[in-house]
Amino acid sequence: MTKLDLDRPQPAVVARAPRTRPRWSLRSRRDFLVFLAMALPNLALIAVFTHRPLLANLQYSTLDWTLGASTARVVGLANYVDFFTSDDAPRVLGTTAAFTLFTVGLSMVLGLLVALALNSKVRGTTFARSAVFAPYVLSGVGVGLVWMFIFDPGYGVLAWVLRGLGQSSPQWFNDPQLALTMVTIVYVWKNLGYCAVVYLAGLQSLPGDVMEAAELDGAGSARRFWSIALPLLSPTTFFLLITTILSSLQAFDLIRIMTPLGTGTSTLIYEAYLQAFGAYNRAGYSAAISVILFAILLIVTVVQIRFVERKVHYS
Amino acid sequence: MAFPVNRRGFLALTGAGAGALALAACAGPDTSGGTAAKAGASPDTDFSNVKPASSIEFWTNHPGQSQAVEQQIIEKFQKANPGITVNLVTAGANYEEIAQKFQTAQAAKSGLPGVVVLSDVWWFRYYVNGNIIPLDSLAKQLGVQLSDYRDSLVKDYQYGGKQWALPYGRSTPLFYYNKDHFKAAGLPDRAPKSWDEFDDWAPKLKAASGAQYAYMYPALAGYAGWTLQNNLWGWGSGWSNSWDITCDSADAVAAMQWVQDSVYKDKWAGVSSKESADDFAAGIASATISSTGSLVGILKNAKFNVGVGFLPGGPKASTNVCPTGGAGLGIPSGITKEQQLAAAMFIKFVGEPENTAAFSAATGYMPVRKSADMTAVLAKTPQIQTAIDQLAVTKVQDNARVFLPGADQEMAKSVAKIVTQQGDVKAIMADLKKTLTGIYEKDVRPKLTA
Repeated sequence: MTKLDLDRPQPAVVARAPRTRPRWSLRSRRDFLVFLAMALPNLALIAVFTHRPLLANLQYSTLDWTLGASTARVVGLANYVDFFTSDDAPRVLGTTAAFTLFTVGLSMVLGLLVALALNSKVRGTTFARSAVFAPYVLSGVGVGLVWMFIFDPGYGVLAWVLRGLGQSSPQWFNDPQLALTMVTIVYVWKNLGYCAVVYLAGLQSLPGDVMEAAELDGAGSARRFWSIALPLLSPTTFFLLITTILSSLQAFDLIRIMTPLGTGTSTLIYEAYLQAFGAYNRAGYSAAISVILFAILLIVTVVQIRFVERKVHYS
Repeated sequence: MAFPVNRRGFLALTGAGAGALALAACAGPDTSGGTAAKAGASPDTDFSNVKPASSIEFWTNHPGQSQAVEQQIIEKFQKANPGITVNLVTAGANYEEIAQKFQTAQAAKSGLPGVVVLSDVWWFRYYVNGNIIPLDSLAKQLGVQLSDYRDSLVKDYQYGGKQWALPYGRSTPLFYYNKDHFKAAGLPDRAPKSWDEFDDWAPKLKAASGAQYAYMYPALAGYAGWTLQNNLWGWGSGWSNSWDITCDSADAVAAMQWVQDSVYKDKWAGVSSKESADDFAAGIASATISSTGSLVGILKNAKFNVGVGFLPGGPKASTNVCPTGGAGLGIPSGITKEQQLAAAMFIKFVGEPENTAAFSAATGYMPVRKSADMTAVLAKTPQIQTAIDQLAVTKVQDNARVFLPGADQEMAKSVAKIVTQQGDVKAIMADLKKTLTGIYEKDVRPKLTA
C-alpha cells in the first residue's frame, strides 16, 4: 500500500454476523418457479442434444464397435492407443495443423487488408463491402460445387485459362497436397468477408482523436497503423483468433463436397466422419478421434483465454 | 429479482441433470456379451404364416438416373398388389451415401426401410453386422426363380451357403471409345484386344484427335479399386487371392508401373477428377473405361459416334479380365416379418424379366434375368448387347476390394500416389498390403463365423 493509500480514510471494520440460512419468502419461491419454467426447457435441450451425445461419445470411444452392429466389445483406451501409434496420427494432425494455420492466418491477414481498403472514403465501398461479405453467407455446399467447376482439370475455368497460357491443369482433386491447397483457397475466400467485416467494425471504432494527435505529432500512416491501430485492434484480433480457429477446426462442408475421400484433406473432424460414416464403419475409433478433437478445442480455447487475452489492450 | 440459487448451485444442477440424462439414455450397442458382432447373426426366418405389411420404404440412390423407371415399376407393383404401398425414398446420391444412411438407421435402431440398394462393396459388411436377412426361405416361399437369374450376378451375393441379396442395377466396366477419333487416327473401329495394342495406338490417337488424352482413367474415388482389377488380372495378379493380399506381388507392381508410365512416361493418359464418363462425353479423352450404367448417359450427351467393347487384356491374361459390379437389393433384419415379406415380394417383382428389361433400357445396366426379352431394348440401344456378351467372360471381384471395409478407399489413395504424385510403385503397393492385411485382421477375420 502506498503512502497515498494510507492517507485515505479507511473503512471501519464491521463484525460480520454469523450467516444464517435465508428463509424463502413466497415471492422468492414464485420467482424460482418462474426461473425453472423459463430455464428448464433450455437446460433440458442442452442436456439432451449437447451433453448427452458428448458423454455417449466418450463411452463409444472405449468400444470396438462397427457402426451398424448391435453388439460391441469394451476395449478401454485401445482406440486412443491405436490412433496415436498408427500412421493416422501424424497424417491427420499434420493436415489439421496445416489447414488451421493457413486458413486462420490467411483469413485474418487478408481480412485486415481488405478492411483497411474498405475503411477508406472512396466511391463504391458499400458495394465492395457487400461483395466481400457475400461468400460468408453462402452455403458451403454450393460454394464447393461452384469451385469444383472452376478447378476441374478437364473443363474447368482455371484449366481453360492455363491451356490458353500453354500449361496443363494440375491434378487439384487427386494430388493430396494440391487438394489441401485447393480447399484452403476456397475456405479462405468464403470466410474472408467475416474477418474483414469484424476488422472493419474495429477500425471504425478506433478513437479518432488519438489518431489525429499521432498525425499532428508527425507519425506516418505506417507508424500509426503498427503503433496505434493494430494494438488498439487487439480485442478484435483476439476475438477473431478464437472464432476462426474454432470454426477452422470444425470445417466440414467444403472438405466433404470437394474431396469426398479426404485425399490430403483429412482433418481431425473429417477423419472422424470417414472412420465412422465413410467406408470403415469404425464407430469406436471415430469416437476416440472426436474426443481428441474436443480436447484440442478445449485446450486451444483455454490457452487463448488465459495467455493471449493478457496481451490484449482493451480501450 | 433475487434467486435462491447461486451460480455454483445452478451449474451443479445443470451438470447433475445432464449426467443423469446421459446415463439414463445411453443407447448404443450391447456391450454385455464382451465380444464384437459375429457375422450372419440373422436367422433365416419362417414366413409361412406371415401376412405382408401394408407399407414399406424402398431406399435407393436411383443408379443410372433411374428414378422415373423405379417409380413406374412401383406403380405396376402396387397395381398387382393393391394392399401394399411402396414409398420410393432417395436415400443418397451414390452407394456410399445410401450406405451411410442405412448404417446410421441401424445405429439408431429406427427408421429402417423395407428394401435397400446395397452395392458390391457394402453388402458383405451388412452381412457381417447381421443387418440383412438371408433370402433363401423367402425366395422359396414366393417362388423366385433363382436359376433364371444370371449365374455370375446372383452368385455375387452368396456367402456361407446363403443368398443375402438379389441383383438389381448390375454392371460391368465397358471400354468406351470415340469412333471419330479412332477413324481420324486410322485405327480399326473396335476396342483394343490388349493394353499392349492400345499402347501402340495411343500416340497416334493423341496426335490425330486433338483431345487432351488418348485415355482417361476413371476417377479414383469409387472406381480405382474396381476398374484397375482389369489391369491387375491382365498382368496375372490382383488385389488379393481369396483372403491372401497379393497387391505387392511382382505382377501387381508391374501392372501399376505400366499404369504410372502411361501417365508420366508416355503421357497419353490422364486421371479423371470426378467422372470419366463425363470427360469422355465432353471429348476430353478418346477412350475411357466406365460402368455400363453410364452407357445411356454417354450416348445422350456425346456429340460424336460412341463405340463400346470388352475390356482389354494384359500380357498374362487376355480374357476373364472384367469384374462385375453395381448393386443388389437386400432386406434389413431390424424390421418386422410382415415388412420383410412385403419387401421380398417387391424384390421379386423388380426382378421379373419385363421389369429388369425396362430398367436396363432406361439406364444401360444389365438385365439380371436370362429370360428378359431385350429385343426392343437392343433395337434402341444395341451397345447394351456388348455388356451382356461380356458377362460370359467376367470374373468375381477380389475379396480385398469387396469384403474389406474401407479397402476401396485405401486402394484409391494408393493409386492416387502412383498416378498423381509419381510415387514409388513397389513401396506404395507394399504399404497398401500392410494396410489391407491390417483391416482384414482387425475388422473382418474376428467376425467371420466360418
